[in-house]
Amino acid sequence: MEDAILEVEDLHVTYHVYGKEPVKALRGLDFEIKPGDILGLVGESGSGKTTLARSIMGLVPAPGRIERGRILFDGEDLTAKSREAMQSIRGRDLTMVVPNPRAELNPLVPVGRQVANVARVHLGLSKAQANRAALEMLQAVKISDPERRFHTYPHELSGGMAQRVVIAMALVCSPKFIISDDATSGLDVTVQAQVLELLNRLVSEKRTAMLYITRDVGVTAHFCDRLAIIYDGQIVETAKTAELIEYPMHPYTLMLMAAFSQNPRLRSMWTKAGSRIASEAGRQGCPFAPRCVRAEPRCYQDSVALRELRPGHLVRCHIPVTR
Amino acid sequence: METILEVQGLVKHFPLPGSRAKVQAVNNISFCISKGETLALVGESGSGKTTVGRCVLGLLEATAGSIRFRGGEMGKRRHVRTPELRGRLQLVFQEPAEALDPRMRIGESIEEPLRAVNLPAAERGKRVAEVVDRVGLTMEILDQYPLTLSAGQQQRVGIARAIITKPELIVLDEPTSALDPTARAEIIDLLLRLQQESGSAYLFISHDLSAVRYISRRIAVMYLGMIIEQGDAAEVFRTPRHPYSIGLLSSVLLPDPSLRRLTSISLRGEIPSPINLPKGCYLTSRCPFADDRCRREMPPAEDLGGNHVVRCFKHQEVAETERAADTFEEFQRTAERILSV
Repeated sequence: MEDAILEVEDLHVTYHVYGKEPVKALRGLDFEIKPGDILGLVGESGSGKTTLARSIMGLVPAPGRIERGRILFDGEDLTAKSREAMQSIRGRDLTMVVPNPRAELNPLVPVGRQVANVARVHLGLSKAQANRAALEMLQAVKISDPERRFHTYPHELSGGMAQRVVIAMALVCSPKFIISDDATSGLDVTVQAQVLELLNRLVSEKRTAMLYITRDVGVTAHFCDRLAIIYDGQIVETAKTAELIEYPMHPYTLMLMAAFSQNPRLRSMWTKAGSRIASEAGRQGCPFAPRCVRAEPRCYQDSVALRELRPGHLVRCHIPVTR
Repeated sequence: METILEVQGLVKHFPLPGSRAKVQAVNNISFCISKGETLALVGESGSGKTTVGRCVLGLLEATAGSIRFRGGEMGKRRHVRTPELRGRLQLVFQEPAEALDPRMRIGESIEEPLRAVNLPAAERGKRVAEVVDRVGLTMEILDQYPLTLSAGQQQRVGIARAIITKPELIVLDEPTSALDPTARAEIIDLLLRLQQESGSAYLFISHDLSAVRYISRRIAVMYLGMIIEQGDAAEVFRTPRHPYSIGLLSSVLLPDPSLRRLTSISLRGEIPSPINLPKGCYLTSRCPFADDRCRREMPPAEDLGGNHVVRCFKHQEVAETERAADTFEEFQRTAERILSV
């Protein structure tokens, strides 16, 4: 068995807002990713997906704080690292692709040089070497006419092209781990398909591991090796992709899938209108209970742990769905 | 069926300041919408969908062509700003949070369109209560501000604002794309129910094909300001005949790894700039079928029967290589199997 490149253990992140109740964005997250693996993390807005990405990168914005837990990257705990140490890891071994690529790029610097700068800073390459590496990377991400595009500015590129440049920046140092935070959701579907294929190929060629964060369970089904469904800062279900799609057991997972169905009967079986995530005060039991069509009194009282209900298939539910 | 909106040869070009060039956003499109019907306009960003919607509403003046609403010409702005038309056409926006005034209470926001049609105050209050109920919100919400609502609730408010004047046509400009999948499904259900109750026609502008497949009976696929394929939604989804429609449909990813439209046709690259439109068919730079004729001439709109219209010289070749399949329909069987417990 190969060792995991990234292990997240019991991660708790809380935002302490002055004069308000603290917001617990992550409430005990556990997962690991092996080299060459793509883990799809699926959840709605507000579920803690982006907080997780930022925690791994060491960029939790104030007033957020990692309260508890460890993030082991290549055997070392990132939460214990100094800011300087994180700076040398971030961008080299650990990179992130974010949505809105044009905001990510410096508008005043030609895109080729932005890619080259990453290589110069992190790999200590000379200017000429870095430019060569950057040009190769622009070719690898299938930017047409890379020699010319090297000298263009971000505003001259379309959204899809800019996203490719950001991917080139994330990959130029051959990182061990990439986080994609909703990176393709702003793109048109045909371009999204091209970018996903590209990421998939580059990741498998270099045996890079990837955390693919999204709210669209449809994309992950085609693209990820394993899936984890996150709700209110906790993983509620995780398994290999085919297993999870064929035998979903958490009512929330079924609700996400039902959203793609055109059959109102199927949808109403799994969707309960009404309250969203409960307020912090008086929160007990399963956080999904208020939206769950199968909730029983005990779901509102007793919290529930992740249990392995089928081989490699973990579910956090009192009354898992079986068929 | 009574036609309420008829668009003929609509053209909209935007001049670029300081140059002779123009952004050719909409280039000669025609369609009509009957009473109580939904037509979906789909296409990638930059295809001109939103511009069409804005021209229909009279927010933009058409460069050429005619837009007739209930027989009356609307292509020019002065035709639109008449009291008789007020409230009969409405719009729902993509970003619900940005469409609502952050300093106005929800109740005032919903009521605002009624002031434009000069309804007495007593009647306004009654109507507000009625639409709040119809869009599935509660009366407590009326005193709140937009910030305190979820995106799904905000979009319900946006819809309430649109239906309160009892419009005959609602232009829905990407009403679901800023929402989570579960909220999106709820909004689509709501729109379908409202249409059954009120008989409003929808022009549903979206790049979200799942939503389109579900909500619309007819579909028009746009590419660079032209409708390149148009027809019955079920038929276009099952047997698309334009290479671009096929590329679009094969990019759809539903939550079943075994389901993806199998095709040998894949689109390269991205949509060209609408400032320098290519000669001939606009898709040639991305199309695997393109030959010299495609690069020279613009294909005419050809009716394949049953109002399925396509603009492609190669539609027969496309028909021979493509297997008929509707991944959305196939997914229904997957969903039935997995979700019926």
